[in-house]
Amino acid sequence: MDFTLKIWRQANAKAKGKFETYKITGISPDCSFLEMLDILNEQLINDNIAHPVVFDNDCREGICGMCGLYINGRPHGPDDGVTTCQLHMRKFHDGETITIEPWRAKAFPVIKDLVVDRSAFDKIIQEGGYISATTGGVPDANAIPIPKPKADEAMDAASCIGCGACVAACKNASAMLFVGAKVSQFALLPQGQPEAKRRVVRMIKKMDELGFGNCTNTYACEAECPKSIKKTNIARMNREFICSKTSYTDK
Amino acid sequence: MATLNSKIPEGPLAEKWTKYKASQKLVNPANKRKLDVIIVGTGLAGASAAASLGALGFNVKVFCIQDSPRRAHSIAAQGGINAAKNYPNDGDSIGRLFYDTIKGGDYRAREANVYRLAEVSNNIIDQCVAQGVPFAREYSGYLANRSFGGAQVSRTFYAKGQTGQQLLLGAYSALSQQIKAGTVKLYTRKEMENLVVIDGKARGIITRDVKTGEIERWFGHCVVLATGGYGNVYYLSTNAMNSNGSAAWQCYKKGAYFANPCYVQIHPTCIPVHGDYQSKLTLMSESLRNDGRIWVPKKKEDAEAIRNGQKTANDIAEEDRDYYLERRYPAFGNLVPRDIASRAAKERCDAGYGVGTGKAVYLDFKEAINRLGKEKVAERYGNLFQMYQKITDDNPYETPMMIYPAVHYTMGGIWVDYELQTTIPGLFAAGEANFSDHGANRLGASALMQGLADGYFVLPYTVQNYLSAEIYNSPIPTSNPEFDKAEAEVKQKIERILNVKGNKTVDSFQKELGHIMWDYVGMGRTKEGLEKAIPMIQNLRADFWKNVRVDEDNDCMNPELEKALRLADHLELAELIARDALQREESCGGHFREEHQTEEGEAKRDDENFMFVGAWQYTGENEVPQMHKEDLNYEFIKVQQRNYK
Amino acid sequence: MKLIKLASISKKLCMGALGAFLLIFLPFHMGMNLCILRDDGGEWYRNVCHFMGTNYIVKVFEVVLLACVLFHIVLGIILAIENKMSRPVGYAVANKSKTHQGSKFMIWTGGILLVFLVIHFVDFYFAKTGLVTGKYVVKTEKVEKAFQEKAMKMQQGQLKEADLKELQAQYMAIQSLSGEKVAKNGKYFINLTKEELQQTCGKDFKDYEPDFYNMAKEKFHNNLFVVIYLLAFIALGIHLYHGVGSVFQTYGLNIEKYAKTIDILAVIYAIVIPLGFAIVPLKVLLTAM
Repeated sequence: MDFTLKIWRQANAKAKGKFETYKITGISPDCSFLEMLDILNEQLINDNIAHPVVFDNDCREGICGMCGLYINGRPHGPDDGVTTCQLHMRKFHDGETITIEPWRAKAFPVIKDLVVDRSAFDKIIQEGGYISATTGGVPDANAIPIPKPKADEAMDAASCIGCGACVAACKNASAMLFVGAKVSQFALLPQGQPEAKRRVVRMIKKMDELGFGNCTNTYACEAECPKSIKKTNIARMNREFICSKTSYTDK
Repeated sequence: MATLNSKIPEGPLAEKWTKYKASQKLVNPANKRKLDVIIVGTGLAGASAAASLGALGFNVKVFCIQDSPRRAHSIAAQGGINAAKNYPNDGDSIGRLFYDTIKGGDYRAREANVYRLAEVSNNIIDQCVAQGVPFAREYSGYLANRSFGGAQVSRTFYAKGQTGQQLLLGAYSALSQQIKAGTVKLYTRKEMENLVVIDGKARGIITRDVKTGEIERWFGHCVVLATGGYGNVYYLSTNAMNSNGSAAWQCYKKGAYFANPCYVQIHPTCIPVHGDYQSKLTLMSESLRNDGRIWVPKKKEDAEAIRNGQKTANDIAEEDRDYYLERRYPAFGNLVPRDIASRAAKERCDAGYGVGTGKAVYLDFKEAINRLGKEKVAERYGNLFQMYQKITDDNPYETPMMIYPAVHYTMGGIWVDYELQTTIPGLFAAGEANFSDHGANRLGASALMQGLADGYFVLPYTVQNYLSAEIYNSPIPTSNPEFDKAEAEVKQKIERILNVKGNKTVDSFQKELGHIMWDYVGMGRTKEGLEKAIPMIQNLRADFWKNVRVDEDNDCMNPELEKALRLADHLELAELIARDALQREESCGGHFREEHQTEEGEAKRDDENFMFVGAWQYTGENEVPQMHKEDLNYEFIKVQQRNYK
Repeated sequence: MKLIKLASISKKLCMGALGAFLLIFLPFHMGMNLCILRDDGGEWYRNVCHFMGTNYIVKVFEVVLLACVLFHIVLGIILAIENKMSRPVGYAVANKSKTHQGSKFMIWTGGILLVFLVIHFVDFYFAKTGLVTGKYVVKTEKVEKAFQEKAMKMQQGQLKEADLKELQAQYMAIQSLSGEKVAKNGKYFINLTKEELQQTCGKDFKDYEPDFYNMAKEKFHNNLFVVIYLLAFIALGIHLYHGVGSVFQTYGLNIEKYAKTIDILAVIYAIVIPLGFAIVPLKVLLTAM
């Protein structure tokens, strides 16, 4: 298969970026999107065309959350429920022009080419995305039975990989699905209750501070989440927030 | 150092750890604040160690190469984590888990370490549940278990097919809590390039900032290495693209012994290779072998017809299928340990019964779907099936999966004693980076157990024991000449790579190295092959330093340079793996020497001559390293021929 | 940077509360409008308008409602600006993600509704406050009473020559009102212009009300006007569909189990309300009411 690639190139955080167009030919439909970029990079080096395109990637099996490209108007490209690394070229048609952009959000500044800084997510988690159980001194694992449906729902919320596709897809660059998923996971579990009220207000506060937009319930986040995390997690977070704001003062 | 001191406490096996904990030295809270601990890596071992040591009050600095601690490759572990909880009442116990792990490791692991691992396994599950890890549960609300290879009990706890992810996120959340509390400082996108040793003790590290290329110095009263394994030496593996053995190699070059490098685990259930552009292999969890049945056609002509596309799996009648694992190992069937399953697959494919490209066997769920219904199967393995379908475009509910072995895990690693301390005082190694607990083969769902055991429950004690003597030493300024020297070494190495200005890309070298390793130091090794491989690796290394091409300078994000820096180390490490494999004239676990097998093709150990840990000492560039032996004394376990029949 | 220092969810909750209030108001307005459809020469409708125009509770409600609309608009604009600021550099390829219908265009459908609201106010609402002139309705007995009081004053000799003339003119004007200027039941003079009102009731007369019935009929005979209204109702439908679902989501009531029900509810609401509003101009236009 042959493709025309329009790729965002930006030398560093401060440089002005622009799109460059490259042609690539003879790609197998079974090739993954990132492998296609590997092939492109080999070409760019060997044919002295340009410096290789820099993009974040690591596990290449859809779980680390490192990769994330905005491909033809969709985070992680045209396939549903996958990360960029699991997107395969068979999802494109021969001769297609593919435009590749980095995640765009104020809270995710570009570092180079297609790489962005997502440390904002870590900062949100640090505000309360945990249960303060320091090592040791915890009860037996079976001490608290947790209804299976609740545990399953918590698992679904917890499957977030922190890739940032929700922010990239959202027209407001809002991080509500990411935060909602984490708040939900702990809100669903009995272990999460003692800190629930503090957790939700602090995480939201941090999210706002970091420059993410407001949620307008467009649900692009849900549509693009590679782990299919549901918008009901956002509703649950809203509920938790109301509950916290009306009955709790954070000191 | 001629003999290795593993510092195993005296006394009965079951009391060693308790005794150690009771007699270890402590540091009072006011002093803890004054002690700096550097932790490299934020996988299960690194993150849990950082969180635990931070919670104790030490001044922790933790480093990772990715943009977030949560990206570490522990996240990709799918199947589960073992613990001797015996919740199903099926006869499990600490002793049984200990025994299974030693046996699974083909009697090449240290008894005391493994027993401690089994002992703390239960605490790990308690800890994780307290952190909010959403393990699978029964309708009763209690935790669910499943079985894994090499065990006849159900002792594996799991969270869908994403157990590693959930455990890592648990450790990451504990780490985040400590970062917020200020006890841990997090440094992301920084790669360790060198270890600083002052007066014989590990005192700091040199890092390269991946974003800017800046070389930085960091002091620590001790350094914990939790940087994972070196499977990427084989290029195609289930490891992440950035996983590497570089940091461990730097420590080796600074005097830490490297133990059993030839013990590399080849995982039997991976999606087969389909093209030379391929960058990595994807694992299909071992848990699939709970319900999936592995087979190839009984007749060669059927296999050939499948390879030519004239027949499909569904055309092969039941009686024409060879469920070779069930045939050869009736007691364990499809749940034999990984090394055995892998070799059996290779044997069938080499004999001409392979399907797909010829290097693949079937993993069939038809029987399970008939027995349990599609829904139940989807509930258990749905996300794995979906992943398989996304990658291969085949629907595993309808046609059997195709799988083939691939490099997965490295049992070998930096040599450590009972305290997880290396031969350099003050340098600790944890998780996959050390060699200690899995012997020659790791059982499924044990890696997660070991990583978290080291981080949550071992290092907090042993590191403290070490640091108790450090309270008299104030921090050493990073202007110390040893830091200068270590930094200069890194800068020189970078300069050297950039100045080659050759014409071959880093990836092309990496692929070539991978081919050599897979062909000669892979699943079936021979003396001849290994003797051929060593000069090939040496030549490739020489070629690398003559012809590698890295264009951009070290002043920006430069992935080519990152890869080249790691590859330079891997090219040396590869040779050590081959040397160790050559030295070990026996077959055990993941190390299979074709000269040493039984008539039935099973691995043949030589306990007489090789019941030792081979720990290699660096002797200088292009010098032959020196091997030290740590004899393995099995006091509590009767050493037997491993039998899964 | 945020324009308002309030948690993002709090802002959403305000937006939702204001919206929800407006959602409750709409069926009332619609119900009122539907009275026009009754073929009684505007009898019912006039009575409803009279009630709405004079009841004090309604008047308070009206002020609150206006405030709600205003805050809903202001907050909507602020949120839109804040949200734009969250992505300073946009994408070259417009987003193609699947989204909730209409959700991406709330600010635009809202904008259309704002323009519509201005037109609607100029045409109708402002007639009530006297900002613009419209058509008026007065009770015949009130006109007669006012006339009689003036006539009484004249008899008592309190009026001058000029006033006399005016009184005569007023009498003539009242007499000349007939046909479409008189309600079917004869109790009202209707469809009066400001001039006619002054001529018949005198300059100081205050006891009149706007004749919304006839104003509407007149406006809705204009094709262009009807088209503008219908377009606004389509925008309203889109705005409502997302708005209704959003209120549930924002207040955390969008629970998996009820998600479908909520969506159906939103669809029904978003169709019924605009349709109810649209029937009136369509009926007027198409049946020459």
